[in-house]
Amino acid sequence: MSGGPPKGLPSTGPHSLLDMPHPLAGSSSEEAVGGDSTPSPDLLMARSFGDKDLILPNGGTPAGTSSPASSSSLLNRLQLDDDIDGETRDLFVTVDDPKKHVCTMETYITYRITTKSTRVEFDLPEYSVRRRYQDFDWLRNKLEESQPTHLIPPLPEKFVVKGVVDRFSEEFVETRRKALDKFLKRITDHPVLSFNEHFNVFLTAKDLNAYKRQGMALLSRVGESVKHVTGGYKLRSRPLEFAAIGDYLDTFALKLGTIDRIAQRIIKEEIEYLVELREYGPVYSTWSALEGELAEPLEGVSACIGNCSTALEELTDDMTEDFLPVLREYILYSDSMKSVLKKRDQVQAEYEAKLEAVALRKEDRPKVPADVEKCQDRMECFNADLKADMERWQSNKRQDFRQLLMGMADRNIQYYEKCLMAWESIIPLLQEKPEAK
Amino acid sequence: MEQAPPDLERQWQPATLEPLGHTDAGLQAAVGEEAEGSRDEVPGDGTEHALGLGVLMTENNFGLKKIEISVSEAEKRTGRNAMNMQETYTAYLIETRSVEHTDGQSVLTDSLWRRYSEFELLRNYLLVYYPHIVVPPLPEKRAEFVWHKLSADNMDPDFVERRRIGLENFLLRVASHPILCRDKIFYLFLTQEGNWKETVNETGFQLKADSRLKALNATFRVKNPDKRFTELKHYSDELQSVISHLLRVRARVADRLYGVYKVHGNYGRVFSEWSAIEKEMGDGLQSAGHHMDVYASSIDDILEDEEHYADQLKEYLFYAEALRAVCRKHELMQYDLEMAAQDLASKKQQCEELATGTVRTFSLKGMTTKLFGQETPEQREARIKVLEEQINEGEQQLKSKNLEGREFVKNAWADIERFKEQKNHDLKEALISYAVMQISMCKKGIQVWTNAKECFSKM
Repeated sequence: MSGGPPKGLPSTGPHSLLDMPHPLAGSSSEEAVGGDSTPSPDLLMARSFGDKDLILPNGGTPAGTSSPASSSSLLNRLQLDDDIDGETRDLFVTVDDPKKHVCTMETYITYRITTKSTRVEFDLPEYSVRRRYQDFDWLRNKLEESQPTHLIPPLPEKFVVKGVVDRFSEEFVETRRKALDKFLKRITDHPVLSFNEHFNVFLTAKDLNAYKRQGMALLSRVGESVKHVTGGYKLRSRPLEFAAIGDYLDTFALKLGTIDRIAQRIIKEEIEYLVELREYGPVYSTWSALEGELAEPLEGVSACIGNCSTALEELTDDMTEDFLPVLREYILYSDSMKSVLKKRDQVQAEYEAKLEAVALRKEDRPKVPADVEKCQDRMECFNADLKADMERWQSNKRQDFRQLLMGMADRNIQYYEKCLMAWESIIPLLQEKPEAK
Repeated sequence: MEQAPPDLERQWQPATLEPLGHTDAGLQAAVGEEAEGSRDEVPGDGTEHALGLGVLMTENNFGLKKIEISVSEAEKRTGRNAMNMQETYTAYLIETRSVEHTDGQSVLTDSLWRRYSEFELLRNYLLVYYPHIVVPPLPEKRAEFVWHKLSADNMDPDFVERRRIGLENFLLRVASHPILCRDKIFYLFLTQEGNWKETVNETGFQLKADSRLKALNATFRVKNPDKRFTELKHYSDELQSVISHLLRVRARVADRLYGVYKVHGNYGRVFSEWSAIEKEMGDGLQSAGHHMDVYASSIDDILEDEEHYADQLKEYLFYAEALRAVCRKHELMQYDLEMAAQDLASKKQQCEELATGTVRTFSLKGMTTKLFGQETPEQREARIKVLEEQINEGEQQLKSKNLEGREFVKNAWADIERFKEQKNHDLKEALISYAVMQISMCKKGIQVWTNAKECFSKM
């Protein structure tokens, strides 16, 4: 799993999908314990989960995600809106209905974002807005700025890498829609991020651009941690768990990269196999035209191979549309995790630097200066937030990959079942005696 | 030339050829009756062949007994060839067992070694002496339609093994053919190791072979061929073409399928590496990886089985060639007949002209006569006499050619009908076994992926 559960913080550990409590139900959250430290100044905009203002049906506290709820299982639940009864979920977001807009300057796609919520942060119980990719990009940047101590889920790639792909093709748009939906759902599930003001505006504002412009005018004082961090920082000692997860992420990203390459290779080989099959089947038809008694059996074999070809095509399409994008998303996810880790390192480095400076001044003041204390607070907050996010990430990762790989196995099983059915059904045809006709 | 209706009374007696199998009239009668379709004693269908049985005429009596033939071993040998150069070749052990009717036990009666070239010699002999029979083909001389993993080398053990099976199949086909099984040279092939080659060559069959048959693409302007043979030749050409195409594409399909399966093996390795850094997911990943390895290695057996199907198709690819040869033979006979008839007609006309003194056709003699004076009546009489003799001879020959032609058509068509049934039966069986192979492959695939899925679920 991860580099070990954070010390001192109770971890509910992995659960099976069945006995996992609802993400918003339980109250034994790591975050709550970590709440010894007051929320850092940077988090003023966000709601903390200690907030008891929220009214929930069961009167429970809106605790954090103590349980390893996977985004995908939540996805399933969220899609069955009607089925949710008595659960404490109070925010539902869905991305659907892509539409193409043709303007003089450009052509682009918008997606409908539907929000349903009982939270007081929302004036209306339901919202429906349209957003385009750059709006999502904006949101993500805003979240990174305003929640630097948290791991922000990744977006699907902005630019289309392979020139062959059509930005407006059904498959591409659908793949992107799913990724955007996942992105929003992950934010929705996050106990801190989901209360972010920018997120709220994104979901509700009629004119997002006006809000964006307003935001640009103010130079947001997000402090030192906004800058994109490059390079490492000299730290006296990195806490074990962060060192471990850093190493883990390096290897993890490598393995994912390898799996991505293997999956692509398999699809490529399967497509080439398909090409040959599409030539193979019809030859039996040609032969059938020459024959008398053998005509029907041969034609049957030809049709059978045709069916197998179709099944194979479905397999490759599914893998391309569903498997590869999710894999790539995780590579991006682990990349964002790494950059957050770097930021954390930076904060720690600052703190240590300040501490050193104080020590060097050799003042025998027992009290530690206020700004150093503030730094320490910030660091500890960051550590706590990150630990919590890491845990959540790890368990989500586990669920996501379990589902992804089971899905891959499923598709292959379905492919073979289709082929099996095709071949079994022609056996009686082949065995038919001519007299019987 | 008119097409004579099949004449059941007639028996085909080759005027110039005498297969060694026909040593006396009794035998000929047996063959003749057999050709009419009474097959009580002689098994001639695919079942016998499939069971590995054939019939053999023993030298001493006319009793037909059931035998088992097997090409049981293959051995690499070195020797010296005709030019006294060292060569390496493979020898095959042929074992013949006679099956006793009473207790069904089989007793080994003969066992000898033969090499491929001797099989070829046997087949060439059969082609010459039984031109009306669709002679079973030999397995290919060189590996063709090979997909990449398989070797195209004749010494490769897999190739030798498949050839061994093909040679056994050839012998069984001959042994289960109602006419061919009685041939003495075939009998000697199975029983007389030394001197067999000399015996075959002593029949002088090479001289009797019509070299024109070898010229596959030579066309003969045949005015009245039997339409059935023309259609059949066309069919055999198409069949050759379509089966070749099928075999080529199948080899490519096999190649691609191999690639798909083998790449999955990479999952095995990477899952194993990944599992090393995971705590809870580790076991599931590791065992799933193992299943991916199993999947990747399963393709080798699958494709090996499929080679058997390819071999079955190849046999009929080569059979198409044999079918074509029979049609060609008919064409040639018809051509000879038409040439002879034409020649006869022209001689008759010449004779008539000489007799009546009218010159309707141009002839050199006629010209010179006009120019240099007429010939004497004696000279003319002499010429008429010669012509009349030639005409007589010609009419006899035409009669016998006609007879030959009709007999050939009748007997050939009988064997073609037999062949058609055999082909339909065999190819259906081949398709069924191919479908069964595919079903097995699908089931294995489902099994492996189900196992992998279970491992994933435990992640």
